[in-house]
Order: sequence, then structure tokens, then C-alpha cells
Amino acid sequence: MARLSDAPPSTDADETPALPGDGLREGIVDDLRNRIGDAIVDVHLVPNDDLWVRVRTDAWRQTADALKAAGFTFFGFLSGLDWLPSPYGKGEEDPTAEPEEPDTEIRQGVTGGDTRFQVFARLVDLDRHVGITVKADVPDDEPVVETWTTVFAGANWHERECHEMFGIGFAGHPDLRNMYLPGDFEGYPLRKDFPLLSRMIKPWPGIVDVEPMPVQDEPDADQAAQEESAS
Amino acid sequence: MTMMSERQQLSYIASQAADARLNVELETEGMTLNIGPQHPATHGTLRIICRLDGEQVVWAEPGCGYMHRGYEKLTEVRTFPQVTTLVNRIDWLGSFANEVPFILAAEKLMEIEAPPRAQVIRTILFELSRIANVSLFLGDLGVQMGAVTPVFLAFRDREYVLNLIEGATGGRFHPNFDRIGGLKDDLPKGWIDETRQAIAKLREFCDIIEDLLFGNEIFQSRMRGIGIIPADIAKDYGLSGANLRASGVDFDLRRDQVLPMAWDKADWKVWTHPDGDSFARCWVRLQETRESCKIVDQLLDQIPAGPIMTKVPRIIKVPEGEAWVSTENPLGEMGYYVVSKGDLGPFRVKIRSASFNNISIVPWALKGVYVPDIITILASLYFILGDIDR
Amino acid sequence: MGLVDKGRMPAPLTKLFNMSRSYSLWVYQWGLACCAIEMGAAFGSPRYDVMRLGVIPLPASPRQADFVCVSGTVTDKMAPAVKRLWEQMPEPKYAISMGSCANCGGPYWDSYSVTKGVDQIIPVDVYVPGCPPRPEALLEGIVLLQQRIKNEDMAAKWRGIEATPNEQARLDRESDRSAAVAPAAEPEREPIVVGGGPIE
Repeated sequence: MARLSDAPPSTDADETPALPGDGLREGIVDDLRNRIGDAIVDVHLVPNDDLWVRVRTDAWRQTADALKAAGFTFFGFLSGLDWLPSPYGKGEEDPTAEPEEPDTEIRQGVTGGDTRFQVFARLVDLDRHVGITVKADVPDDEPVVETWTTVFAGANWHERECHEMFGIGFAGHPDLRNMYLPGDFEGYPLRKDFPLLSRMIKPWPGIVDVEPMPVQDEPDADQAAQEESAS
Repeated sequence: MTMMSERQQLSYIASQAADARLNVELETEGMTLNIGPQHPATHGTLRIICRLDGEQVVWAEPGCGYMHRGYEKLTEVRTFPQVTTLVNRIDWLGSFANEVPFILAAEKLMEIEAPPRAQVIRTILFELSRIANVSLFLGDLGVQMGAVTPVFLAFRDREYVLNLIEGATGGRFHPNFDRIGGLKDDLPKGWIDETRQAIAKLREFCDIIEDLLFGNEIFQSRMRGIGIIPADIAKDYGLSGANLRASGVDFDLRRDQVLPMAWDKADWKVWTHPDGDSFARCWVRLQETRESCKIVDQLLDQIPAGPIMTKVPRIIKVPEGEAWVSTENPLGEMGYYVVSKGDLGPFRVKIRSASFNNISIVPWALKGVYVPDIITILASLYFILGDIDR
Repeated sequence: MGLVDKGRMPAPLTKLFNMSRSYSLWVYQWGLACCAIEMGAAFGSPRYDVMRLGVIPLPASPRQADFVCVSGTVTDKMAPAVKRLWEQMPEPKYAISMGSCANCGGPYWDSYSVTKGVDQIIPVDVYVPGCPPRPEALLEGIVLLQQRIKNEDMAAKWRGIEATPNEQARLDRESDRSAAVAPAAEPEREPIVVGGGPIE
């Protein structure tokens, strides 16, 4: 990851600067491959920064066991991701402008994926000071994954919250009831097709500005864009 | 079972027997005690439902959600600067500290870094918000034990820090001062000297509280040996911050990860305690406040000259990607997982708040304790409702 | 008080009662979120001391309180508790809504779980805007409430009370008084906003 404090990037397109190696994280990936083998679907490693691993859905709890045995004993969090672009937009568009075509393509993030929903979790190894983010697809037709509560007791509450916000089931969870929402709440709020009704009834008052928004093609904006595209 | 003390084992057995008694035709019934949601001893609207057998808790469950404002959904319909404004209000006592991990995650996605001056000032404000947060904790600790005096001292001495934050940022809490690429404004003239005076007063406050509260015999006997949480249980539940360090785990995100902030420029110490009981947790926080005063003092001498913000475009569109940044906030480890699709605002933000994990241990920790100890354990775990419920 | 509800209260006595009522208020602090800390600073800290205005902060229960200061976000899950609290307070009672979350939903105006303003649940007398309002703003709100109390017509307020079922039954038994107490709705309250300006 280039930083401002680094040397200016080389302009020669053929010469790719050698990235610093990250033995620690590569070792973790190798160790995980030894433990769970072909359950790993995709790996995204940013050297000296962070590590993402996507595993097969049926190996979700197996991954937790393997990582805990490998030293990742600190439970960070567990939650869900909904990759559907919101059909309601952001509610900040200028009402006098032409409405744009809404983007309906589901594009997953860093380690790819095949389904609309994914679960992801973060575990940390406190001795080696390194963390790992694991993701797994959630099948579209039956959104259920295994629970982590037998491995990490703290996953109990996180799975309850994920269930009430996304509607993802956790097989084997002792007590999957609502965490935050009242009992008679209908719908799963964090799904992208759950509308925020206040925004639909009344548009955000800040759209109508007294002075117009700053124009896009300013000299410092252009310069910053050129710097970013060169680095 | 082996990780519990003998007293806890006996009470566990007693609670199992109590459960059995409750299930049979019985002369006495267990009582359901409902603490909250509005109660002076809880930092906000937390409801604890306990089933008691006499004076012992058989089963306890916190009922959250009374302050659930739907942060993660709201961030999806706001731009990055608007999310910064909103996110102040999660941990409403140490407010600048909430903005920092989010801004750092956005900067990570944009692959920029704030200039050194901004980094040092960010760290100073971060530590000041930690002092503001924990000083109120120390005062509130007294109120929850039944001693009302320390909270007046806490409010009075906290005013010094709030004046400083207001002088620099314009808001007593909820500063909205951090921006992607730096800070909104530079420090006003005379702020550094005033900060030094305020830090001296806060050191006195720490000494007074140690004498008044921690040295009190009643406090000690109510806190020592209560609510022991062993280290592996703490890690299982994801306890962080002073709760983890009080169980003997030497882990502090300020020291153990590399972030573009200025903690490595100061010479400070990480405090741990082997016991893991309520007294340990409170004591570690007191020492951390003193350590924060030390950090601020050292950093005030080291503010470099320079710009306060890097060059960023007027309208910020963060490139596509995912980033996770977490920092050692006053309550524990607070982190943001920001997913961006190249828009004006984030696609999804997962807010990992410290108190959510800290309170998830309450059903385990309250098994078999006596009723007065419920409040003691909750007080020492230290949560803020906005942090639990988001 | 026989004089009050029959409307035969001499004006100087009303003025005396109103003045003493306004300077001996017992406030119930319903602190929910960040505004609760500013309310604590206003009520508890020696710098913005509220006791010099004649208002004492910590009542033992809502049944002994004169007015409630709702500060912080009211969620839909919490709303029934607020309603129950309001019903527990005996007349004459007032409400101050502190902070923009309690006024209108505030920064969470588009959330799925936030009640957009506590005035959807209880009738509010004074709105104190801000996020969070400074303690001085809250004290200004209390001063405005005191001025309102001083100018109140006690007889009309007394007669306008909606009788609870027990009270109504008792009054019906004493048939000579049943004509005087007409079950009416809660009196119309014209709210004030600190800092002036209309309520939008």
C-alpha cells in the first residue's frame, strides 16, 4: 500500500516494485491449508496489513475450530454482509436532476463470493498480534450456516444480532431470539431491500442548498485525481 | 467447572439445586427481579432480568435494544463526513475516540495518511477523550456502590477536559472534528498551556479518587474477589480494554498494532492485573487514566509544525474496497469494517463496539452471585448503552 | 382544596401559590442517552448548579416528581416505558424535552427504531434544542417553565384534569360534586422553544 511518505512511484510501467514479504501471514495461510485443506476458497493477503480468507459454507465451524487451535483465541465479531445494491438509492440525489439507472448487479467484495448474503467474522491472535477476517457464503435458497457458539461462547449474541438483522439462521444456536428489536418487529432491517420509510416520505432536507454544490473540475481536485491515478 | 473458584462452584451447585426446586411443586418460588431499563445504577437503558433464589441469582439476562438507533443501516444512506458526525454518538462520553477508527479506515481505503501534525493532535484529543470518559467512570463507580460524593468531583474535574475539547473543536462532546485526510482546524492559541494546567488538575483528581474510593474499606470488600473472569473465558467472549488486561492478558492495541497515530512517540506503560476480579478492572482503569495524562504531557511537547490536512478533493469518493481498523478506545476495542463501492458514502459499515462483547459475558458472570454483587460486576465491566445498542 | 376547583381563588393567592410552586420543583431525570450527561452536568455539577433555581434533582420516584426532563433518544422499544412513567406522575405535571432526539428524532430521523420525538407520546411544555444542548440552555428551559408556571390559571388547570376511573367513581358517589367535575381531555398546552422561533 503506497503511502505519501514513500518514494515517488516509478513511472516505468514494466518495473513492478517488489512488495515486502509477509512471512507471518503467509505462514498462517499455509497452516490453515494444512488444517482444513480444500475448504479454503479464496485468500486475499495485503502484506503487512491484513488477511482475508473465504471458506466453503459447510466448513464454517470447522474453520473456527482450526483457527482457535492455531492460536486465534480472541473473538472479535461476527456479522453478515448483503451485497445487493440498495434499490432505494441513497436519498441524497438532487430531485431536479435526471434519476440515474439503479445498479442491480450483485458484486461481492474482496474475496469474491457467489451468493447475495455472506457471513464474516474477525478473530485475533493476541500473542502474535495478528488478526484474520473469515468469510463464507450463505446459500440463497436456505440461508443457514453452522453456529460458532460451541467454539467461541461470545458468538452467541453476535449470531442473534445477525439473525434479526439479516434473517440468516444459525443451526445449533441455543437461543436465537431478537437482540435489539421489539418482539413484534416485522422484517430484517439490514437487508438492502428494507426501506427507511422516513426517507421515502420526506426527502433529506439538505438536498436543497442555498449555494450550489462545489463544481467537480477544480484544479486541486484534478491534481489529486492525477496523483492518485499515478500511484 | 475447573476454571471457577471454589465459591463459584458451590454457588453453581446451589443454583442447579435451586433450579431443580423451582421445577417441582414448591413452597417458595424463585423471584424474578427486573433491574431497569431506567435505574440510576445502569449507564442508561439496560434491563437485566434475573431469576433469584433467595439472595442468589439463578439466571440473568441483559435485555438490550432500548437504545438501538439503527446505526449500521443509517450509515448506508449517508456520505462519509455525515457518518463521521453520526458516529460520535456511539460512545457518548469519549466521543472523539469514536471518529478516529472510522476515519482511519476511510483513509486506508483512499491510501492516504494524515500529516504528522494532525496525527499527533489526533492522538492528544483521543487521550483527552479517554480521560474524560474514565473520569466519569470513576465517579459513577461511587454512585453505583452507594457513595454519592465522587460523582460530583468527577463532573467538576471533567469540566476541565470538556473545556479543552470545546476550545479546540467547538463541541463539549460530539466534536465532529476529524476529517478524512486530517483535522478540521488547527489548535487555538494558548490551548497547549491550558491543557498542561488541566492535566495537572486531573492528576490530582486521580489521586483524590484513589484515596477516597479505592482506599475505602467498604469499597474493597465489595469489590475484591467478586466477578472473577479468567483469561481464556475473557478471550472467548471478546472482552477488550481494561477488562481483558485486568484478567492478566497483556494486550493493548495502541502498542501492539501499527497505525498512523502518535502513540509510539511517547513513553508509557500498559497496566495489567492478575486477579481478574472487579477491583482489578477498576484499578486498571485508574492507572490507565494516569498513563493517559502522561501521554498527553509528552505529546504536547512534540507537536510538529506543518499542515493540518493533506490534499483531498472537495467531494470525497472513497475507492472500492474493504478495510478494518480498530483502536484502543476508552471502553475497549472499537473497530469499523468499512465496505465501500466508490460512492460518496459507504456501502456497509460494521461497527464492532466494545461494550457489546463486554456485556455478553454477563449471563455467565452473574450465575450464582448475590444481588448486591450484580451491580458491582456491571459497574466494573463498564459499558455505555450507545455502545451496546448502537 | 375546595376553593381551587370551584374557581373561587383570589388572584393574589393564585399568584402566591404559583410562585411557590415554580420555585419548589422536583424534577425527574429521565436520562436516556448523551443528553443525560449534559443533564447530569447541569443538575449535579457545581458549575451549572440547578438547585439555585429552586429545582431539586433526584426524586425517589416519579410519583413524587413535578416535572420530567426527557433527554436522549426515545426508541420504539422504550416508548411504552415513557408513557407509563408519564401516567404515574400526579398532576400538576410538566415535561421538558431536551435535545434534538427527544424533540423530533434528531440525527436519527430516518431510523427504523427511533420514535421521532417524545411529543408523540407525552405532551411537552418546553423544547430545548441542541445536540446536546449546553447546560445553560437546559437551565434556560427550566427558567421558561418557571415563568409559565407563574402565569398559570390554577383553577382551569385543576378543573381540566381527566379523572382516573377510581377518582371518577368516588366523585360520582358524592353526587353534589359530580356536576362540577366534567371529564375533559388534558388541557391544551402551548409549548415553548428555548431560543425563540416557531416549532416547525
